[in-house]
Amino acid sequence: MDLDFANLMAEQIAAAMKGKKISPAELGDTLFRRSTRAQKELNLFISFDQKHIAGEIKRIEQHLPDKNCSLLGVPLALADNIATDDQKTTCASRFMAAYQPPFTARVVSQLKENGALLIGKTNLEEFNLGCSGGSSFFNSVKNPWDLECSAGSGAAAAVASGLATLALASDTRGELRQAASYCGVLALKPTYGRISRKGLIDIASSLEQIGILGRCTSDLAIALQVLAVPEPDNPSTLQIEAPPYASLLEKPEENFKIAVPTCWNEASHLQDEVKNDFQEQLENLDKLGLEVNFVTLPHFKDASLVATMICAVEAFSNLSNMDGVRFGHRETGKHLQEMYIETRSRGFSSKLKKFITFGGLTSTPKYYDTFFRRGQKLRTLISRELESCLAENDLLLTPTTPFKAPSFAAPVSGKEFPDPAGYYTAAANLSGFPALSFPLFYEGRLPGNLQFIAPRKHEAALLQIASLLEKEFSSHRPKFALSLQEV
Amino acid sequence: MSTFEAVIGLEVHVELLTATKLFCGCSTAFGATPNTQVCPFCLGLPGGGTPVLNKRAVEYALKTALALNCQISPEITFDRKNYFYADLPKGYQTTQHFQPLGKKGYLTINIKEETKRIGIHQVHIEEDAGKMVHMGDILSTPFSRVDFNRASVPLVEIVSEPDMHTPEEARLFLQKLRNTLLYIGVSDCKMEEGSLRCDANISLRPLGSKGLGVKTELKNMNSFRAVYRGIEHEIERQTRILQEGGEVTPQTRHWDEETGVTKAMRDKLVAESYRYFPDPTLPPLKISEEWQMEIRSSIPELPDSRYTRFIQDYNLPSYDADVLTASRELGDYYERALDTYREPKNLSNWIMSELLGLLNTHNMDIVDCKVKPHDLGNLLKLIDEGTISGRIAKTVFEEMFATGKKPEAIIKKKGLTQISDEGTLLKIVEEILADNPGSVEDYHSGKDRALGFLVGQVMKKTKGQANPQMVNELLREKLKK
Ligand SMILES: [Zn+2]
Repeated sequence: MDLDFANLMAEQIAAAMKGKKISPAELGDTLFRRSTRAQKELNLFISFDQKHIAGEIKRIEQHLPDKNCSLLGVPLALADNIATDDQKTTCASRFMAAYQPPFTARVVSQLKENGALLIGKTNLEEFNLGCSGGSSFFNSVKNPWDLECSAGSGAAAAVASGLATLALASDTRGELRQAASYCGVLALKPTYGRISRKGLIDIASSLEQIGILGRCTSDLAIALQVLAVPEPDNPSTLQIEAPPYASLLEKPEENFKIAVPTCWNEASHLQDEVKNDFQEQLENLDKLGLEVNFVTLPHFKDASLVATMICAVEAFSNLSNMDGVRFGHRETGKHLQEMYIETRSRGFSSKLKKFITFGGLTSTPKYYDTFFRRGQKLRTLISRELESCLAENDLLLTPTTPFKAPSFAAPVSGKEFPDPAGYYTAAANLSGFPALSFPLFYEGRLPGNLQFIAPRKHEAALLQIASLLEKEFSSHRPKFALSLQEV
Repeated sequence: MSTFEAVIGLEVHVELLTATKLFCGCSTAFGATPNTQVCPFCLGLPGGGTPVLNKRAVEYALKTALALNCQISPEITFDRKNYFYADLPKGYQTTQHFQPLGKKGYLTINIKEETKRIGIHQVHIEEDAGKMVHMGDILSTPFSRVDFNRASVPLVEIVSEPDMHTPEEARLFLQKLRNTLLYIGVSDCKMEEGSLRCDANISLRPLGSKGLGVKTELKNMNSFRAVYRGIEHEIERQTRILQEGGEVTPQTRHWDEETGVTKAMRDKLVAESYRYFPDPTLPPLKISEEWQMEIRSSIPELPDSRYTRFIQDYNLPSYDADVLTASRELGDYYERALDTYREPKNLSNWIMSELLGLLNTHNMDIVDCKVKPHDLGNLLKLIDEGTISGRIAKTVFEEMFATGKKPEAIIKKKGLTQISDEGTLLKIVEEILADNPGSVEDYHSGKDRALGFLVGQVMKKTKGQANPQMVNELLREKLKK
């Protein structure tokens, strides 16, 4: 059997496993070989080793008799800010470099119970703070399409390179979708609370949601089905059953009413390439007979700034537990204060320190009303605008990022405030609405992307539109700079 | 030299009697092995989960706010107070800063025969921190330990208005508050275990002035006595400074029980440097009218109204009413005994002198008392009926107190029934008169004292069981002849 995972869907892998067309041992060997190669080329993992993969294979052999495992043998990559009790969880921070959680995130247990095979823990920006590079204690991740460019995250690179079929990573101001857009994969950030946040080491609790990366809509649907199970003991999650996504995809809705914000072309650093591609896609949608309307969302353009400020304030507080007293890195000091200062000074990157200092300042009583309270009001306003727009339209459409995967030599974002990469993505985090990034492929060019935002709880609409575009565009995938098929 | 008036406000932290912590399922039991009642959440581990609000804690806090006559917010929020300290696992304390549960309440105290109303600024819910255990001398020890069992235990903080002016008023307020909380059963209020902790804000101003002077915050007062002494000392200290023309430094001071002085603490975090912002993991909570009604109806009669009722219905002096309503259990005990024995003042005397005396001697609380209220009532009935004398009754009561047995059983077993049979008593009286001719002579020569001696001899002979009134009468009669 050809183990070309890059071209197999989760359903096909599970079927091959159940039909014993792939032996678990063979699967394990191949994955380890390819991971080693991918790691060497892309630096996408923080933790992966043969022992853990062997352990996963053993576990999957025990799952074989269970015919209900929809993800049997499906290779999964996991961002290293999601807790696992058998592998350290570092958040790509020096402070956390040796942290071993005593528990596993609920999402990981859910996927594993359904047969998924966890390959390893992937690299990310320190505490998932953006995806513009420069803050991971484990260095940047290279893009499989072009090794001179950033992948945004190891999770997206793992899916793009064909190593993992699915990946889970978090999305605070759009990181999941941005990295997906740089790497040409699908990303679904579900409604806030739709899937569990238990075991996610979050920097901004009110914004951050675990999302799914994959290569086809049907894979996303299967994973979402497994994950979107209400958590009765956690009132911060949605307490409603998820619809049957797979069967909704069989007879997709085709009369979507799509809104495009008029400010879509006002993003700073908007590349002409992205602009032209987007305009072209609007015409394509028109040809498909979809109704596209331009709408005015006066505060959509402020979303990134507002989300950055709220994120900084929450990060300042969420990361206050990182004091060296109970876990993590610890420096010595003459007294407690000095120990704190030394520990945090050396445990965090300068980028993170600047960010949480900004959060600390913004929430001092002196600036609270001027900045934070005003930011909260804007958040409400942005959410309301989105809500009323999506009461009249099924979906909101924008590019995912104003630019394609930034090159290491000339990074677009990271130095600017707020990060220009978040222009289109942050509104979905502020409102908690679900959003999906859809990849567009071009011969000889980096992948492009579209972002759809749906009303709260309407992940199905996102999967349906993605499925429709998948069929209609079915653009062939050009070759990567990196190919793992032969490995 | 000008005279000053002290202005005192109290901040009282009370641990609520919930079985589990404020946001996780860990136990709140006191005295467990350190760090055994913890989980990833209350240890502040990364990814340790989101808080799940303990509704019972909100219910207890609501009961507290209502009992303290507060206005209740229709919607409450939880906020984070961010600061670093080794006993604070998350690096922030979840408290209520922007929309506290209760505001503008009051509590009354009785001082010098007058009733005074002390304002309650606010009542809010928050989580406790862990406990630092310094090994040996705090300055020379190379390390400290932290016990996180207490981290995230639910507290209510009650902040008074600065309406008190003397240490005595502060002590009375705190006692009244503790009593009220015990009445509504939301906390065990044990200062020695730290389930009730009191800080005081103290400032001075020239007598007659309305302004407020520079205040100091006084901490570490672990008993009512310490609260009184600590405030008293701090007032004296500030008075001295002001009289010498100096200025009071705003600071936090520690009461040192052993040396009896207050000491400045280093590293005072001024309130301005705390960062508060709404906790993004806890949605606002509605406090509906229905819920308030339900909780209000579950509040028992509070000390004030019981005090008034005891005076009006039972004709008790205010002192008695005050003592008997000092705890809910004692008041309940009194009223249950009263069901059996309908002489309120007699009963009150017995409880205040005999029962409370014994409890005090044995360092016990009324809830530990083995004597059932009904049995105490019966004992007093037996005195009134003349079955036993008051003196015998005290012996019987001591045994009831030690064993919990019924008075009738003890009297029967020990043969302590009062001798009221005239024939029997007459015989003994005659014997005593025959044995003590000297005293008889003394009596006849006008020395009344002799009668007392003779009565005593009869009582001695009967081991105290003779009906003293009858002995008296019989002796007088015999001596006339
Ligand atoms: Zn706990």
